[in-house]
Amino acid sequence: MLKLVRTLPKVLKYLPSDKAQDARMYILSLQFWLGGSPDNLVNFLKMISGSYVPTLKGMKIEYSDPVLYLDSGIWHPLAPCMYDDVKEYLNWYGTRRDANEKLKSKNAPIIGLVLQRSHIVTGDESHYVAVIMELEARGAKVIPIFAGGLDFSGPVERFFIDPVTKKSMVNSVVSLTGFALVGGPARQDHPRAVEALMKLDVPYIVAVPLVFQTTEEWLNSTLGLHPIQVALQVALPELDGGMEPIIFAGRDPRTGKSHALHKRVEQLCTRAINWAELKKKSKTEKKVAITVFSFPPDKGNVGTAAYLNVFASIFSVLKDLKNDGYNVEGLPETSEALIEDILHDKEAQFNSPNLNVAYKMSVREYQRLTPYATALEENWGKPPGNLNSDGENLMVYGKQYGNVFIGVQPTFGYEGDPMRLLFSKSASPHHGFAAYYSFVEKIFGADAVLHFGTHGSLEFMPGKQVGMSDACYPDSLIGNIPNVYYYAANNPSEATIAKRRSYANTISYLTPPAENAGLYKGLKQLSELISSYQSLKDSGRGPQIVNSIISTARQCNLDKDVDLPEEGEEISAKERDLVVGKVYSKIMEIESRLLPCGLHVIGEPPSAMEAVATLVNIAALNRPEEGISSLPAILAETLGRDIEDVYRGSDKGILRDVELLRQITEASRGAVTAFVERSTNKKGQVVDVSDKLTSIFGFGINEPWIQYLSNTKFYRSDREKLRVLFQFLGECLKLIVADNELGSLKQALEGKYVEPGPGGDPIRNPKVLPTGKNIHALDPQAIPTTAALQSAKVVVDRLLERQKADNGGKYPETVALVLWGTDNIKTYGESLAQVMWMIGVRPVADTFGRVNRVEPVSLEELGRPRIDVVVNCSGVFRDLFINQMNLLDRAVKLVAELDEPEDQNYVRKHALEQAKALNVDVREAASRVFSNASGSYSSNINLAVENSSWNDEKQLQEMYLSRKSFAFDSDAPGVGMMEKKKIFEMALSTADATFQNLDSSEISLTDVSHYFDSDPTNLVQSLRKDGKKPSAYIADTTTANAQVRTLSETVRLDARTKLLNPKWYEGMLSSGYEGVREIEKRLTNTVGWSATSGQVDNWVYEEANTTFIQDEAMLNRLMNTNPNSFRKLIQTFLEANGRGYWETSADNIERLRQLYSEVEDKIEGIDR
Amino acid sequence: MYPKGGLEKGDPPYRGEPTLIWAHVKRASKFLILLTGTDEETRRLIIVLAGEAAQKRGYVFFSEVKFIQESDLKTIDELWKQYSDNKFGYSVQKKIWEKSDRDFTKFFIKVGWMKKLEASEVEQFNYRSFPTEFIWEMDENTPEGHLPLTNALRGTQLLTCILTHPAFHGNEEEKGEEKGEENGVPEGKGKKNEGLKGLRNRIFKTDYSF
Repeated sequence: MLKLVRTLPKVLKYLPSDKAQDARMYILSLQFWLGGSPDNLVNFLKMISGSYVPTLKGMKIEYSDPVLYLDSGIWHPLAPCMYDDVKEYLNWYGTRRDANEKLKSKNAPIIGLVLQRSHIVTGDESHYVAVIMELEARGAKVIPIFAGGLDFSGPVERFFIDPVTKKSMVNSVVSLTGFALVGGPARQDHPRAVEALMKLDVPYIVAVPLVFQTTEEWLNSTLGLHPIQVALQVALPELDGGMEPIIFAGRDPRTGKSHALHKRVEQLCTRAINWAELKKKSKTEKKVAITVFSFPPDKGNVGTAAYLNVFASIFSVLKDLKNDGYNVEGLPETSEALIEDILHDKEAQFNSPNLNVAYKMSVREYQRLTPYATALEENWGKPPGNLNSDGENLMVYGKQYGNVFIGVQPTFGYEGDPMRLLFSKSASPHHGFAAYYSFVEKIFGADAVLHFGTHGSLEFMPGKQVGMSDACYPDSLIGNIPNVYYYAANNPSEATIAKRRSYANTISYLTPPAENAGLYKGLKQLSELISSYQSLKDSGRGPQIVNSIISTARQCNLDKDVDLPEEGEEISAKERDLVVGKVYSKIMEIESRLLPCGLHVIGEPPSAMEAVATLVNIAALNRPEEGISSLPAILAETLGRDIEDVYRGSDKGILRDVELLRQITEASRGAVTAFVERSTNKKGQVVDVSDKLTSIFGFGINEPWIQYLSNTKFYRSDREKLRVLFQFLGECLKLIVADNELGSLKQALEGKYVEPGPGGDPIRNPKVLPTGKNIHALDPQAIPTTAALQSAKVVVDRLLERQKADNGGKYPETVALVLWGTDNIKTYGESLAQVMWMIGVRPVADTFGRVNRVEPVSLEELGRPRIDVVVNCSGVFRDLFINQMNLLDRAVKLVAELDEPEDQNYVRKHALEQAKALNVDVREAASRVFSNASGSYSSNINLAVENSSWNDEKQLQEMYLSRKSFAFDSDAPGVGMMEKKKIFEMALSTADATFQNLDSSEISLTDVSHYFDSDPTNLVQSLRKDGKKPSAYIADTTTANAQVRTLSETVRLDARTKLLNPKWYEGMLSSGYEGVREIEKRLTNTVGWSATSGQVDNWVYEEANTTFIQDEAMLNRLMNTNPNSFRKLIQTFLEANGRGYWETSADNIERLRQLYSEVEDKIEGIDR
Repeated sequence: MYPKGGLEKGDPPYRGEPTLIWAHVKRASKFLILLTGTDEETRRLIIVLAGEAAQKRGYVFFSEVKFIQESDLKTIDELWKQYSDNKFGYSVQKKIWEKSDRDFTKFFIKVGWMKKLEASEVEQFNYRSFPTEFIWEMDENTPEGHLPLTNALRGTQLLTCILTHPAFHGNEEEKGEEKGEENGVPEGKGKKNEGLKGLRNRIFKTDYSF
């Protein structure tokens, strides 16, 4: 068609008839219009008016022929024309008279640019020209390509890849369009984009021009980039593996045209060149700065990262880099020696925490190297200050080996300062923090920095949420250094923050292989007793065994979880079954809980056998969209049972069902184990899964799972369904044991493209595997999905049932709950949908599947009152899902304005009351969606607890109120977060229940400090007029059988499966130094729960004391492996007692005090 | 928002020998009483001097600055300095830029091309809006080095090349002298300025009528 438009006018010109001329004009008009440039449009008007305006007809208005532009090609402002052949373009480039020697040099890096044709044609290309000039002025060649459509994958391959050698001709690519490579803002095709970029194999940056905001609006906004642009131009390109969403162009409010933001363009271009240099530099000369963290600031915590044995991993990485040709001179022989090198300062500097000092930076040098140093003085005074400082110089801690520097990232610096923790906004980085990054960039001269593990504090420094400006600290700190970040695969939300705010190329690592928690001590005895009860219950010994079960259960503190009859009480056989069933069900719950054992070491993937528990859990989920039935469902079916039915029966404690479920679980494990054994070699490695698999599949009786099941009661299971399932498990197994973490790191350091992949829970979404991918989240507008809404309904219904059962059949009027970023990514918005279902609205998607509307569900359909909510969004959720906050706020306001009776609509009821009390309108009173101020994260209760820097619970509650009381208002979405403390307090005071979701089996309540940090249970009690403590619930959707438990039940379950479980702590201790810290962390987080909710039983502390302190051998192991963490452990025990959370004997306390001074001495001694 | 700094399409391209530039510059100097015009004319001249391609394009690409003759740039600069009592001109801007450690944000703030954002929580600056927020007056409120304006729509490389042009290479040596002057005879200088100011006010009345 376009060809026709091009040639037709030439033919028609020579036809005399008027009709033909009209046709010619019509085609010319099309050409002018499609050509779109100002000149074309002028000539278009001239032609039309000269030919068709009657009064002008005689005047013979001259016009030029339309200028036609290529549909896609290469454009350079100096070039005489556009090129559609890269060789021709480069020929011209070589003849440029204006170019200097540097630009002509063979060694000049080459940057590919991706531009939008419409900007070039319409002459709105100043921002493009700015980038081209900046790159060329810095000595980089450019190949700027453009396309008219939305699919850039073709042009990228055509112009950036040498047609002969098939190699990339560019060293890095910067897209200035801000769009996903294929599909722009409309329907994306990420797999195609990734395919094209894999061929290209260079770092791929997607920079963003402002579209919906003027420059001034963006600068003034604490949100930063407009939410719609964040969704379309930041989140979607991430799915292609796009990095570094740097805002490089603003908009002039007068002309509407784009213009360069000079400092941002500089930042973008230097970073693009530095990425390109990684491709050009040799390995021997490349300098890498490995950065480790210390959370909370304590020597025992140097090298903290979630699930990671950091020093062992660094050691493994460095050995590998050394073999690969990097200069790692002087690397010690073992990872223990590496720890020693970094932790211990041989020359003991005064006022240093005894870490090795890598560099002392004078204040003068610091100020010269750190242009933003003066801005830090507002919070920290004149440099050097007293953090990372000896009073005269700023101290950089770490150690250099050849071209590799291992450094310790300084901490926030205000962890121990209760006043600062209270501020609603976070403080800037301190001088020592800034000095660290100035050192890395300008003195050490890093070609890349590698942040080691989840996570540090750089990306959480104050600044805009997304779309940094010159005044945002994460941007200033990271400076010009390419940032590679090892990040836990299960944490896509915070990984996304690191990507957006500190420009990280995130490389995922696996969480340690999970194992079933198993049973120990009394719990093990119980399980034995139960099994003998089952075989002997009708023999007359039944009552006796039940008595033993009841007393053992009491010893195990199960009396709070199960209603136990008094000992010796006469009960009927039926009741006996029920009691045993309930205890059994609890035991099985504990036994089958998944826990990551030990810590992961980069470069050491799990063996096949270690992957069994994970595979069993993968097999436990139904995947209807892929046509895969779950293993338990297949097995239950064999006996004519529906697995959901079995789950429900087991939850109720029906002995028969509990036993059946146990058998199903056992059979599942057996079948999967048999399968894994067959597909591995003698060393337990999966050598050649595909070969092995083909030989396994399709041989009916020979299939290992069939062989296994033939000896069980499930021998008649559906073979076809099993084959489909095990084929899928085979794929998963291959992915679990794949080792790409080191490989991907090396690719990143060599300036190659790191394949992107979703982060999340490998059990729910095996696409997370293999690790070693550049983690991304999801299209934020895609959630909640229909499936998520379905699951949400189940959880909400169970929650409300539970609350009713415990509260005389009354519905809660208000539920205070938390929305987490990671949770909503992993579950595609389940908890978001829970909120919607509580207030009774339904999300509505548009034709692209984007959720941007809600509609009320009628009261008839809902069958209950609308429950009011107080939504506390984590800072990360706020950054990632601001559009969904907007949607929720609109939903709440919509519901508050429905004309419904107040006893059927608690949102309306409360909003009306609050509107009256505060003298505002209902819409404003109906503010329920809260979070931190922009650029600020967490309630800081976690920091206060970890550093024991709090006086009383009141202070913690005040922190929560002052930091979390920022509301999102859909009536003023551009404003961002606004403080609405009064409404926040009033809304919380109506809460009858608090509620959070657990999203992954490997992260539970005491594994991280986030959960108690956001728990308002005690706060609600203090705000409620009746002073009643609200019920607190935790939903657990990590297993096939979703559960809503009370908070105290969950705390107990967590303590039993982790802190007090020998399998867990022995697993941790096998990692040495880090292991002690992990144990201490669990105890500290437990104290956090006591402080925010008061839901921790005394026995938890008592048992912990028995396990770790009273056991002499254990005590010595802890003290010798990591004395600093052990000291903190003792301190935490004493604190739990001092704050009244743990009552124990005077002897115990005396022993702890004595130990404390012993370990103090020991630490002093070691260091001297 | 910014100085447009382009030739109007209708303008005849300059094709003369570099030395003949004088005719153009003289035409410019007549307009010096009208700073707006002179400022515009300066930008037009820079484009003309950068060569035919720049004229056709309507703006100068940074690497074309080297085609501008040293003498021509110097002449333009001299005229600016002469008629502004050393307040304006590229060499004046260069000094300020060097003092700002070649940081363009600091430079833009000093010469008044950027303004502080009052609504912002942190200290931030935005570009001034062209033409309404720039000042074409020989007023003491006009910051030193405010004129001539150079387009920053396309970043700062063009201005970098002008300020580092060999025409202004002598300036580094002046740095020392200037310091001496600052410390040595500030009072005398001040008086001289005051005298001139009166004169300027009489001669250079602002008039935007044509």
